[in-house]
Amino acid sequence: MSAKFRMGTDLAKYIQELGYRNELGYQTFLYSNDADIRKVFMFIVDKLPKETVEAQEETLGASILLQRAIASTLARQLSSPWAPSYLKENGITWRGIPPCWQREGASSLCHFHSCRITKPFRTGDITKKIPKELRFYYTKILPVVTNQTLQHNDTAPSVIEENAIEYTQQQEWESEWNQSGLGSRLSEEEYRARKKERIKKKITDQLRQDRQRGGTTAGSSLSLDLQQMISSISGRASTTTKTKGSRFTHTEKLLFAKDEEKVISEVGTGEGPRTKTEEELQKEREVEVGDLREELNNLVSRLESVDMDMRKFTAGIQQMEEEIGNQGRINKEKEEGFIVKKRTLDLLPDAENNITKLQAVVDNSGQRLINLANQWEKHRAPLIEQYRDLKDLTSKKESEAHKMLEEIKEFRKKMKEVADEARNKEELQKQLTSEYERMTKDVNRLAYTKRITEIVANIKKQKKEIDKVLVDTRAVQKEINQLSGKLDRQFTVTDELIFRDAKKDEAVKKAYRYLAALHENCELLIKTVEETGLIMREIRELEDQIESESHKKVLSNLEKISADFQQMKKENAAMLAKLKGKS
Amino acid sequence: MELGQCTLEGLALAGDAAHIPDKIFQPFITRACDGVLDVRSRDAIAKDSSFQSVDLAVLKEAYAAVVTLLLEAAKNDVDSNSISSVLEDCKFTSDRIDIFSKLYKDRKPYLQILLGRIGDSCPHIVDVDWRMDYYIKNNHLEKVNQAVYLITLKTEVPGQKDFKEVQFSCTQEQLQDLVGKLRDATKSMEKASQL
Repeated sequence: MSAKFRMGTDLAKYIQELGYRNELGYQTFLYSNDADIRKVFMFIVDKLPKETVEAQEETLGASILLQRAIASTLARQLSSPWAPSYLKENGITWRGIPPCWQREGASSLCHFHSCRITKPFRTGDITKKIPKELRFYYTKILPVVTNQTLQHNDTAPSVIEENAIEYTQQQEWESEWNQSGLGSRLSEEEYRARKKERIKKKITDQLRQDRQRGGTTAGSSLSLDLQQMISSISGRASTTTKTKGSRFTHTEKLLFAKDEEKVISEVGTGEGPRTKTEEELQKEREVEVGDLREELNNLVSRLESVDMDMRKFTAGIQQMEEEIGNQGRINKEKEEGFIVKKRTLDLLPDAENNITKLQAVVDNSGQRLINLANQWEKHRAPLIEQYRDLKDLTSKKESEAHKMLEEIKEFRKKMKEVADEARNKEELQKQLTSEYERMTKDVNRLAYTKRITEIVANIKKQKKEIDKVLVDTRAVQKEINQLSGKLDRQFTVTDELIFRDAKKDEAVKKAYRYLAALHENCELLIKTVEETGLIMREIRELEDQIESESHKKVLSNLEKISADFQQMKKENAAMLAKLKGKS
Repeated sequence: MELGQCTLEGLALAGDAAHIPDKIFQPFITRACDGVLDVRSRDAIAKDSSFQSVDLAVLKEAYAAVVTLLLEAAKNDVDSNSISSVLEDCKFTSDRIDIFSKLYKDRKPYLQILLGRIGDSCPHIVDVDWRMDYYIKNNHLEKVNQAVYLITLKTEVPGQKDFKEVQFSCTQEQLQDLVGKLRDATKSMEKASQL
């Protein structure tokens, strides 16, 4: 009980903190009353945050539409009655409300399996010629798309995958072209060719590096491996022939031995020493195996030594070749030195003449050099100027090209943005239209407006009536006033008349007294009538109040409260008892 | 819906009256639909004599493009309006767009079922056999008195024509648990359908 009370007070406090004006306390919740609770609820609902509604409207995105579609499909499928599986062909039925084809069960499922399919490309383009052979292949040999896969089930996956591949390739290429292709200032074909070359180079480099690395770190082992393989091939051949031979001889021997033994056994005691021969066989075999193994070991060691020799010899050959080269070079140098020396020696006998001749030759050649230099200068100056001009021009052009490139890039970006925007807008429009279609068309609106107008008309009518009643009451009031005025005047007039006559006549005096009494009594009567009216009104008000109070169920509430009070008392007593018991 | 350049070019061919005359356009589209849907007519277009007037290479390219468009459109659940806008971009005349939209609208459910069949799923329960045994006693206990249920679920497994049977036995509590789980599953399906 106390918990209830506390809860009630807390609730009341919170609601009053929110700004509730009317009277509110724990009693509102404990001893509830429809009208009060209704008011409280109205207030609280008004206070509810309104963002939720807007948010709901905003988040009506593609995902919600999809969810709705799923829900509607599920509802349709749930509403259709169950059917046994043998009534469906491969799990496909014509059912639902409204009926449509649907797949049920898993028997018809197949995995996604796609194959590469080939489509003819640019056959209708007249500007680009396709090779004759390709055209022949397209027209005569290539099967149609739906007939290319091994199984018909694979057609749809293959077609879809083909399209997806093509689309992604296109997308990838576009982004690459936008990013780096445009900057390289090449045409598309050139760019593609360059890329191809780059990749090729990369691969070859990689291969070469791998090979070199292999050669440096494990070169010996590699070569050893190779040699081993070669030797194993050749060796196998030789050993097999040998073992074959040996086996042959061995069997021969065996046969002979057997024969001999047979002969012996036949000739001899006749006890077949079969076990003995077996043992002998075993022994012989072992011996032979040992021999062979030894031979093999020998051969292997010989091979190794030969191998070593070979390597040594090859190294020697290389060294020798290098030495030969060195010697040849030295020889050549020496020959050249010999030739020069020989010429100078030839010139020595007629020294002076020869010196002058040589001087002349030297002078001549000097002059010629100067001449040539002059000529060169003459040619050079305009060339350099031209070169400079051209350089300026190219740099200008380059900067222009750069600018243009930037512009192109910007335009492309803009293009993309606009396209994206358009797509987004289109999607939004689609969503909105679908939502609009989904919305229940407002039939209620008309009804509402009608009702509102009706209510307004009613109110007008009521107002008119009220006005009428008011006018009536006013008229009545006026009449009353008039009548009372008339009465007053009449009374004063008669009063005067009778008063004048009363002095003369006794009877009239009496009449005057009666008149005064009558007037007083009448006034009293009117007063009492008015009072009764007032009282009646009060009574009516009080009755109304009583009714409203009785609506509030004060009595029952009081009873409830007293019962609760009793309960609380009991609880308190019990708690006290407990406390005492504990202490 | 995203289509590759190759497909768009093929569609332009299909929409061009110089390559595919108006007279054979409708049979051409019909053949494309059938070629995707039906095993028997997968090669029908190559055998049909009414397409002899068309260059075979062009015919094959256009056919491939139309098949791709049909499958992609069915995959994305595109309505006739959007498909007509795609076709307009590929320079189809309005008559052809009408023909194509009508055929596509008729065939869309079939195409979607065809696409819906691609995939995998857990075994699908279609039927159940059951038997109740009353277990009275065993060698160790004189009185057991328990019900034992033997349940055989018949399931459809992808790629197999016959049913695969899943057999198990359970006690009453376990069976009740199973039934409760099944009820939960139904309820959540209903909840999902009432979004």
